Amino acid sequence: MFKSLEYYKPNIDETVKWYQKMYHDALNHKKGHVSFRALPPSDVDYYEKMDLTIYSFPRDNKKYAEDLCRFLEKSFRLRKEVDDNFIPVITINLGIGDYSAFVNGDIVFQKDTSWSKPSLENLTDYKKFNELGTQMWYQNFLAITEEILKISAPSGIPFSRGFFSPLDLAYALRGDKIFYDFYDHPEELKEFLDYCAEATIKFANDIYQLAKKYLGNSKYGMFYLENIINMSEDTACLISGEQYQEFSAPYTQKVIDHFGLGHMHTHSRSLYLVKEISSLRNVVNLWLPTDPNAPKPIEHAASLAEDANGVHLAIDCESFAQIEENFQDLKKGNYSVTLPVKDIDEAIKFAKKFKEL
Amino acid sequence: MGGILMILTDISLMLQKGRANEVKKLVQEALDEGIDHNKILNDGLLGGMNVIGRKFKANEIFVPEVLIAARAMNSGMEILKPVLTNKGVKPIGKAMICTVKGDLHDIGKNLVKMMFEGKGIEVIDLGVDIDGDQVIEGIKEHNPDILCLSALLTTTMFSQKEIIEALIEVDIRKEVAIMIGGAPVTKEYAVQIGADSYRPDAASAAEWAADYLKEKYNV
Repeated sequence: MFKSLEYYKPNIDETVKWYQKMYHDALNHKKGHVSFRALPPSDVDYYEKMDLTIYSFPRDNKKYAEDLCRFLEKSFRLRKEVDDNFIPVITINLGIGDYSAFVNGDIVFQKDTSWSKPSLENLTDYKKFNELGTQMWYQNFLAITEEILKISAPSGIPFSRGFFSPLDLAYALRGDKIFYDFYDHPEELKEFLDYCAEATIKFANDIYQLAKKYLGNSKYGMFYLENIINMSEDTACLISGEQYQEFSAPYTQKVIDHFGLGHMHTHSRSLYLVKEISSLRNVVNLWLPTDPNAPKPIEHAASLAEDANGVHLAIDCESFAQIEENFQDLKKGNYSVTLPVKDIDEAIKFAKKFKEL
Repeated sequence: MGGILMILTDISLMLQKGRANEVKKLVQEALDEGIDHNKILNDGLLGGMNVIGRKFKANEIFVPEVLIAARAMNSGMEILKPVLTNKGVKPIGKAMICTVKGDLHDIGKNLVKMMFEGKGIEVIDLGVDIDGDQVIEGIKEHNPDILCLSALLTTTMFSQKEIIEALIEVDIRKEVAIMIGGAPVTKEYAVQIGADSYRPDAASAAEWAADYLKEKYNV
């Protein structure tokens, strides 16, 4: 189904080298790298086009894998002329239910997303969970991954998977009660967060091993996996910086330390977290999408560059003019700026224009 | 007078710190000392929640602090409520709240509920994943002054519009003031779908609701 990675990304060597140099510099707090990503509708419309409710898992694992790969192949093909920083990557989209159901609980699928309901009535009940690795969704996620890799791996296209941070995972399993635990049972909560860190490490290791089996001999197939862990810090947006340091940072750090480098994600709602997350050891990348009704990172590029201290910030904007207006500030840090565009022609045009800045 | 002021201040401070047991004890102590129930409610409990609301809005405190403060207020209300009921003290109005169809997120809804209660408003919570028919049934049963519709996702905010349309269809739209909220929702969207109010955070939502009810009932 897929052609080779080079077909979709003719200058893949150059692009990968750019990222490698930038990550190396990010680790050493060296700044000044700015790149561009165009976001045509075809990059993301498969999220809307794939109806997650039509699959009965695990019976339809193979059908899901084929459908997903078909959509991804089309989106890569359509943008192959766009000379921006995008690297084709295979990612599974099952909503967000799968991000915690690998530990416990089931997934409730909706058309374009999914949920898993909190399952921990009492904080310490996680000790009664089935042994990690035996849950249906743990095993089924690996089975789906394998079906996808069978299709995509011959092309050498990188595979990627993101994870909840330990605090996000704990929140998904415990629900809002976790915020009372901060005060009522802080020590038990910390044990639970450690369990969540261990669970993430085990699950990620198993996924990476599987990916390695299929992509280990490819040139860039493991680009987003080797020595890297990709985690969200969404729940952190609801807590203070001090609470982040106590209830999230040590456990997120534990996972990063296991793998090597941290690729993180949080939201513009909580720009104060940029400093907290960027100060974790070996974080090289922070994806910081703009929330509605919240500050726009591009308008705070200079101060965020200072907070990030070299960590690469992947942000977005609304117009090319915003990039032009803030370009000098963007150069004070390491940035990738994503611009939604109306079609591929516009994507090509702005990618070219960015190179002229 | 100094003693009264001190105990009411203590109730407010302990509430802000989320110390539920202390708040409960202090409310009982205040009642035992004959302090007016309205003062305990307004200057102690609701006064404390007002501070919490202001600090939350200013990003000085965050969700965990709001939750434990609201819990402390509820523990004080457990003691005070029977007295208020006996004295015929009523809430300043009634709101009904839910997270709309297709959306299971309830943290925003719960925060709004707590802030409303902190303003002395009775809140009927319909829960999450609620459609137009359930809202219509709820309005007929509870007769709220305000209907609050919460949505966290861009994909579910359209359910807010569908619910408003459903109310228009059965001709009960004018019976309630409708406020919408949630991360993707904007003031412009509220106007577009015919809601009466949009507020960007739980504290501002409660302020609007309290002002609306005071104006409605001329209090």
